Amino acid sequence: MTVLILTGEEDVTADMVVVHLNAASVPVVRLDPADLTAGVALSGEYVHGSFRGHLSAGGRLVSVSGLRSVWVRRPGAPAARAAQPSAWLTEEAGQALYGMLRGSAARWMNHPDAARRARHKPWQLRLAQRCGLPVPATIVTTFPQAAREFAARFPDLVVKPVSGAHPQEPPRAVPTSRVAPDTDFAAVAYGPTLLQRRVAKRADIRLTVVGEALLAARKETPADADPDEVDVRFASAATPWLPTEVPPRVAAGVRAYLRTAELAYGAFDFAEDADGTWWFLECNQSGQFGFVEVETGLPVARTIAAWLARPAPREPGCADDRRLAAP
Amino acid sequence: MQPFALNYARPAVDSEAVLPYVYDSGLQLNVLVDGRIAASDAALLRELGTTTSTAGSKTHFDD
Repeated sequence: MTVLILTGEEDVTADMVVVHLNAASVPVVRLDPADLTAGVALSGEYVHGSFRGHLSAGGRLVSVSGLRSVWVRRPGAPAARAAQPSAWLTEEAGQALYGMLRGSAARWMNHPDAARRARHKPWQLRLAQRCGLPVPATIVTTFPQAAREFAARFPDLVVKPVSGAHPQEPPRAVPTSRVAPDTDFAAVAYGPTLLQRRVAKRADIRLTVVGEALLAARKETPADADPDEVDVRFASAATPWLPTEVPPRVAAGVRAYLRTAELAYGAFDFAEDADGTWWFLECNQSGQFGFVEVETGLPVARTIAAWLARPAPREPGCADDRRLAAP
Repeated sequence: MQPFALNYARPAVDSEAVLPYVYDSGLQLNVLVDGRIAASDAALLRELGTTTSTAGSKTHFDD
């Protein structure tokens, strides 16, 4: 049984997992859906009540029924590198590939439907609340007056993109940024705006969850850190990421979160305050983990490899089959 | 009439740096010029930051 990895060639973070799968003699087929019709090929037959599907890439051929797991890591848009790419071809290729894979019994990290839903930050915040994880007061609004009133209640705010996406043309980044007390909120009317109470943090936490395994790293905020440097991705602090223990209530909360979200993998970001409370910021369903492993030695890649290497369940029947088979 | 959040945008860091490894489709791994597997060189990965959570990616925002 084979592990299928969907990602780009340059994804050296995926390599970290492939190394472990190779060491365990687990067959791997790695491909980028962007290469469909130009190096990657597929075929599936639905005949006489059965399905036979195959994928090929890099001289390897794998049957869809022979997949134990699918790791959706950093796939390109289907057929993006075809000889004559188009939005239509991308849709066709995506439907063919993911439609075929959806019919397999393979385990997913993460299933595309669950992944799509899990990218919605407002949904994340609500799920975190329901799972008992502390969430800083947050508003998502296009009403300038609502933003003003929120700022009056919570004077120390940050703003961040709702989607986490970053604008292109020209390429720009929108880091989580502190909002000055005298800010004019009129422009809130021109786009949904996410404002959140700033957590006066003493550390950033990256908690990577793989199945039931919790791998947490902590990066302390220096006492003399600039309070305007909110986003750890842009902060200049040179303090290292170090392994840390997960408080039991947080452990229960994140496990409940992933179960409800139907995710096998999630990279949670928390801000730890002076009382030691971990405030939920977001859960990236395909968040980076290489930097955590490189800096802390936490065995994230090995844990992912072990999850992917587990056997696939039996192929599911249809609902009527199960009903008829019941005693 | 720019959305509020874009008041806080900054130019994305250029990520077009030349990487010292290339993909080997036989191994399904990236390898260095001397044949070593790039992922096995933690010091190199740390230096390059290619495994790091970043912002501003054109294609991915699951950092």
